Amino acid sequence: MEPPAPHGPPAARTTPTNPFPKLEILPQSSVAARHFLHPVKHINDGPDVAHFLTSKAYRDIGVFVLQLNHALVPRKKSASTVAPHTGAAGRAAAVANTQFFPLNAPRRDPQAVLRLRELLDRVEGIIDEAPPDPGPRRFGNVSFRRWHEMLEARAEGLLREFLPEDVVRGFGEERGDEAGPLDELKAYFLGGFGSSQRLDYGTGHELSILAFLGCLWKLGGFVQVGEGEERVDGEIERSIVLGVIEPYLKVIRRLILTYTLEPAGSHGVWGLDDHAFLPYIFGSAQLARPITDSEPTPLEGSAPGAPRPGDVVKADAVARHRETNMYFSAVGFINDVKKGPFWEHSPILFDVSGIKDGWGKINKGMIKMFNAEVLSKFPVVQHFPFGSLFSWDVDPDAVAPITSVHMANQPVAAAATAAAAAKTSLGVGGVGTAAPWAQATRMPGGPALSGGPGIPYSQGPWSGGGSAGPSVPRGGPSDVGPAPSTEFPRGVPGRASNQFTVTKAPWAKD
Amino acid sequence: MSDLDKAIAQLRACRPIPEAQVRELCHKARELLIEEGNVVTVTAPVTICGDIHGQFHDLMELFRVGGDVPDTNYLFMGDFVDRGFYSLESFLLLLCLKVRYPDRMTLIRGNHESRQITTVYGFYDECLRKYGSANVWRYCCDVFDYLALGAIVLGASNNMSPNPDSSETESDQDVEIEVCNADGQIMTQFSRKPRGRGGRGRSPNGATASATSNGIGPAVPGGPINSGPPGSGASGYSGGSVGNPAGAVLCVHGGLSPLIDTVDKIRLLDRKQEVPHEGAMCDLLWSDPDEIDGWGLSPRGAGFLFGADIVRVFNHRNDLSLIARAHQLVMEGFKEMFSASIVTVWSAPNYCYRCGNVAALLELSEDDSGLGIFARSNGDVGRSDGNGGNGPRGVLMENDPSEPKSGPARRYRVFQAAPQDSRGMPAKKPVADYFL
Repeated sequence: MEPPAPHGPPAARTTPTNPFPKLEILPQSSVAARHFLHPVKHINDGPDVAHFLTSKAYRDIGVFVLQLNHALVPRKKSASTVAPHTGAAGRAAAVANTQFFPLNAPRRDPQAVLRLRELLDRVEGIIDEAPPDPGPRRFGNVSFRRWHEMLEARAEGLLREFLPEDVVRGFGEERGDEAGPLDELKAYFLGGFGSSQRLDYGTGHELSILAFLGCLWKLGGFVQVGEGEERVDGEIERSIVLGVIEPYLKVIRRLILTYTLEPAGSHGVWGLDDHAFLPYIFGSAQLARPITDSEPTPLEGSAPGAPRPGDVVKADAVARHRETNMYFSAVGFINDVKKGPFWEHSPILFDVSGIKDGWGKINKGMIKMFNAEVLSKFPVVQHFPFGSLFSWDVDPDAVAPITSVHMANQPVAAAATAAAAAKTSLGVGGVGTAAPWAQATRMPGGPALSGGPGIPYSQGPWSGGGSAGPSVPRGGPSDVGPAPSTEFPRGVPGRASNQFTVTKAPWAKD
Repeated sequence: MSDLDKAIAQLRACRPIPEAQVRELCHKARELLIEEGNVVTVTAPVTICGDIHGQFHDLMELFRVGGDVPDTNYLFMGDFVDRGFYSLESFLLLLCLKVRYPDRMTLIRGNHESRQITTVYGFYDECLRKYGSANVWRYCCDVFDYLALGAIVLGASNNMSPNPDSSETESDQDVEIEVCNADGQIMTQFSRKPRGRGGRGRSPNGATASATSNGIGPAVPGGPINSGPPGSGASGYSGGSVGNPAGAVLCVHGGLSPLIDTVDKIRLLDRKQEVPHEGAMCDLLWSDPDEIDGWGLSPRGAGFLFGADIVRVFNHRNDLSLIARAHQLVMEGFKEMFSASIVTVWSAPNYCYRCGNVAALLELSEDDSGLGIFARSNGDVGRSDGNGGNGPRGVLMENDPSEPKSGPARRYRVFQAAPQDSRGMPAKKPVADYFL
């Protein structure tokens, strides 16, 4: 077993029962006097991603994800009873000694979570008012714009109706023109339901809803007076993930199906999933090796009785587990919408299904991958707005960005012409958008991004002896450049609108 | 068996060739492509194909439906790579065939044949994964820079060639458009006459063409009800095809550019470079036709939208009867627009494993009359004799609706995604470093 990693950026609150960082809940007194902001975008160019990776917002996103993730890991009912892992009796005993957190188990969701589900129901209900356009079939149904307009028009009212009064109080009338908490909440809430302009949805939108929930957490929205005391540690986090995020994903899946929303920021089959990332993190946590509350998230191992990672490629197994597990729920949706061999349309998930070290290992990898492929990718995070709760300010404890393999692996110095290069005002020089997150938050896996960019796989068996393993020549000149070799824009210049059925220019501005 | 033939055999089996061989192949391909002009001249018969996007098994299905190389001449209009699982195998096979049969295989550049786009849409990731390094990606990108920007098809017949697969043996001189299924059976035919009331479309079961109306609608808003073939405005709109009836066919991946008013201007571009973010070369690879007047901004952020009037003037000025392009998913596999002056051909069925579309290829047969096309059209400028194409002597005047011949005879073969049961499951690959 790997040693527990040290924990705890200064801003993180620790409790006696749980030594791991949690997103700070702002004291009620400070909220009243707090200076809220209208969230605005700050990531306008490749290098801004590097700043983002040292920001308080980045730190808080990381802390929140890890906090939720840790809560989803099955718990040992009694730490002393070590069940022998031999024989059916031993396995049964191990299962009996494990508390699982499946999707369909009864929970004591806090009032705030129940209200958020009602909110999601209302959001979903708008679909009935904006039926998909029956006209000529083009991908991305234009009726989604109507749906989104209605959502925008109603968002403030919905949030006032369904968010705890304590949280939204102080907005608007009391504060005059000054921004209030609802302004910040609303920005992330609306950012979580796709782009009406581009008719797409991707992990950037998913990130926005995570931030919305993070704002609500910070504002004390999940700990109502008299409710928090009797709760077990991690219980509220589990309610947030299983009782809000999964229902949210279901709404999103219905939106995707109804309006054929295109994947935003897609690498085609070479991305993890066309639209989602979080269910793969939390779903793998649900199946990881059981721990006690005071143990860190496991880095390997599966819970007793858990489906095997290899079951992901079996349609019948997916159908069996999709109602209980978020990972399988997400794969089930892929199986619903895609036709063809799983290993072809979802090769990353296929390869991950071959991991031998259990769901803990997969969970660790998913978190690292989320950090690299979502939080560190300009096309994904460029639309994220920053306010006071998720702040653009530099985190004083952030580790200085290092030049990661990720960035160095970006294609560089290919034979773009001077003319072309001169035009690339956007996205150039994605300097070391390293990932201090893993270090700053002591994420499992330690050093940031030892992994490469998208796909730093080892050598294919057929590739002969000529090329050496996964070490990618970095930015060397192309062998025979037809034109003056100039620097190719690094850092995946692009935008979240990179669609899949309609290719958009990565350099295009909104 | 030469090394090249061995490579072709290996790639046909969907197995990548070693890196050193890729390097050699790309080098040879570059030497070949550098000799081609920006606009390649191709003579009919030729089979024109749209986007492939790494759908290797569907490319094999395309060859099955359209005939194998070198028995059939092919013209691929770009977007060989990205998104699919087999961009590498698909592009390398096409490149091998190009090197092996240079006169029977024409490849032109799509907007995805670009360093920047392939880093975002998957081909770069795929090369890294399949070879463990970016070398092969780099070799391929260097070839991309040499691909032609367009092609001109000359000598296409106005008469539909006999369909060897069809039980209907008659060679109908009046057939302008024929749509076949993957087995070669005629699904619908469309005559050049009578116009305005719809073609004499028929299908093997006797249904009329007007019954196949599928929501694509007439090419021109407000026009008469479309009774043309699926994806076609050719016969449902007064006048039918515009442009020179004996003209050539311009093939380009995206479309037209406001900076290009003659095919000769394409010939003058310096193409051997990464696709620029703007300018004529960019537009040719990125633009889309749309139901607008003149030019419009493209929602893609590159290239332009262009309307029927733009196509009309361009085709007239350049003695073109048709522009064939790809670049846009069409659920029916092909779509003729603007009175059949431009057609979109799409050759990636069930695009991205989820779109549920069929694919198509377009066959232009050889003109055996020996008349007309060569004499009248080579795609060069100067055919409008100072009229500029905008003057009162409009093409509509020239385009007498009673004119029986307009545009080459077009046979579309529509096909579905290749059956998947033949594809075995591979061994699981080592996972990304994140999971180590």
